[in-house]
Amino acid sequence: MIEKKKRASAFFWEMRICMIEFNQVGKTYSNGFQALKDVNLKIEQGEFVAIIGLSGAGKSTLLRTINRMHDITEGTLTVDGVNVMELRGKALRRFRRRIGMIFQSFNLVTRTRVINNVLMSKVPDLPFFKALFGIFPKKDKLEALEALDKVGILDKAFVRADQLSGGQQQRVALARTLAQNPQILLADEPVASLDPVTAKQVMGDFLRINKEMNITILLNIHHVDLALQYAGRVVGIRAGRIVYDGPATEVTQEILDEIYEGKTEEEAVG
Amino acid sequence: MSIYDKIFPPKKMVLSNGKTVLKPASRLPLIALILVLFTALSVKITGFDLDVLRERGSQFFVILGMMAPPEWGYSAQVWKPLFDTLKMSLLGTVIGAVTVIPFAMVASTNIVKNNAAVGIMRLFLSIVRTLPTLVTALIATYVFGLGTLAGTTAIAVFTFAYMGKILYEEIETADMGAFEAMEAIGATKVRAFVRAIIPQVLPSYLSNGLFCFEGNVRYAAILGYVGAGGLGLILNEKLGWREYPSVGMILIMLFVTVFFIETVSRYCRRKLV
Repeated sequence: MIEKKKRASAFFWEMRICMIEFNQVGKTYSNGFQALKDVNLKIEQGEFVAIIGLSGAGKSTLLRTINRMHDITEGTLTVDGVNVMELRGKALRRFRRRIGMIFQSFNLVTRTRVINNVLMSKVPDLPFFKALFGIFPKKDKLEALEALDKVGILDKAFVRADQLSGGQQQRVALARTLAQNPQILLADEPVASLDPVTAKQVMGDFLRINKEMNITILLNIHHVDLALQYAGRVVGIRAGRIVYDGPATEVTQEILDEIYEGKTEEEAVG
Repeated sequence: MSIYDKIFPPKKMVLSNGKTVLKPASRLPLIALILVLFTALSVKITGFDLDVLRERGSQFFVILGMMAPPEWGYSAQVWKPLFDTLKMSLLGTVIGAVTVIPFAMVASTNIVKNNAAVGIMRLFLSIVRTLPTLVTALIATYVFGLGTLAGTTAIAVFTFAYMGKILYEEIETADMGAFEAMEAIGATKVRAFVRAIIPQVLPSYLSNGLFCFEGNVRYAAILGYVGAGGLGLILNEKLGWREYPSVGMILIMLFVTVFFIETVSRYCRRKLV
């Protein structure tokens, strides 16, 4: 089944330059738990990929190996021609600046204003003492405001982040990554703590960013219906292995059953 | 099931629908018993005697009585040492509280993953904490000579040790989400700490700093005993000469100052947290 998908889209994929490539990647945690096994995956610039699977199947681990928040233990992972595991110190930090990341719990500094949260993306480039005291050049501030405008919450720029609703907070996080000018956006359960309506809005934001700015988007998601509706490509993970990889339009109930070990009923509908 | 539950079995509670829930026996009696035992033990070890307190306790009030009425005219000579004391505590608190921040960062297990580095830093902080302020002040007088600089150093060292422990414990309870986000953005640990953790711990840090300052004013008042300047100098002198009315005057002025600082600081701390 996997072979069929690959053949069907192979022609289309080879047309563009490869951005992210997993080659026989494995990951074993120090406690012996094997989170990823024999992962082979090619993701091109500008794709919108949803990664689905049960909790603990390895979705988060897969996502976090791309910006090396987690190390891989087997195989090779190249992003834009760079072997991620060879990056150290400064080179790694410079590499991470090109990859945006969105989290389930937004990960904002809630005690400070929205604009300061967006400006966090500019901290790595500032001279140390300016970073220490939070002195940002006007250019950075304008970029931060423009990023907020792109996600439609410019009017909240000078409000404290904890005054905002969940959906608005996720948009601040989105603006924070946009101000980073990323080529790739990794989103770890971005809508899991949002209500269904807000979840759709945020997914819409992702789609818009993907289309308008040609940013590659990889997201982990529990809502299969949202994944199928918004993503172009779906990757199904089961116990650390990729069991499906293909267009969202070709995902059938049978495939979902395989990804979710026959437990789709609750997850897929809910 | 713990040993306690075996000795004092949980009580079974039956709901109207027949389901049962086990309510574990309260641990309070055991804790109370231990407390009483230790109190009794400490009375025995320290040789505390209530009779002595009853017979000789009045001596305490005899000296207090001699302080009244205070020597009002002496106040003119108290102002300078009083301000010295305040200067010592304020400067010492600020220096100690600011310099400890990077040390507290290294002592936090959630920021620094290297257990050896964390362990060494904590050991260092706890050694500094063990150093009595009076001893630090005495050593400082040998280094800087008699005067307020020695007192300031002693206060700074004490604040460093006190704030260090409180700060790293506060850092360890901070939400790591924003820190993770900063690292994912490509910031170094130090920058991520400054921009993601500091805003979270800042209110309690300032509050503890103020609290520490309150205490330091009182500590600073006795540092003069070892020649570190401030009120302690004249306090020691006047006590030595048994000029109790002047001592009374010093204590009244100290009391008013401390009361004023505490009131302002309490107000500020309430606004902070």
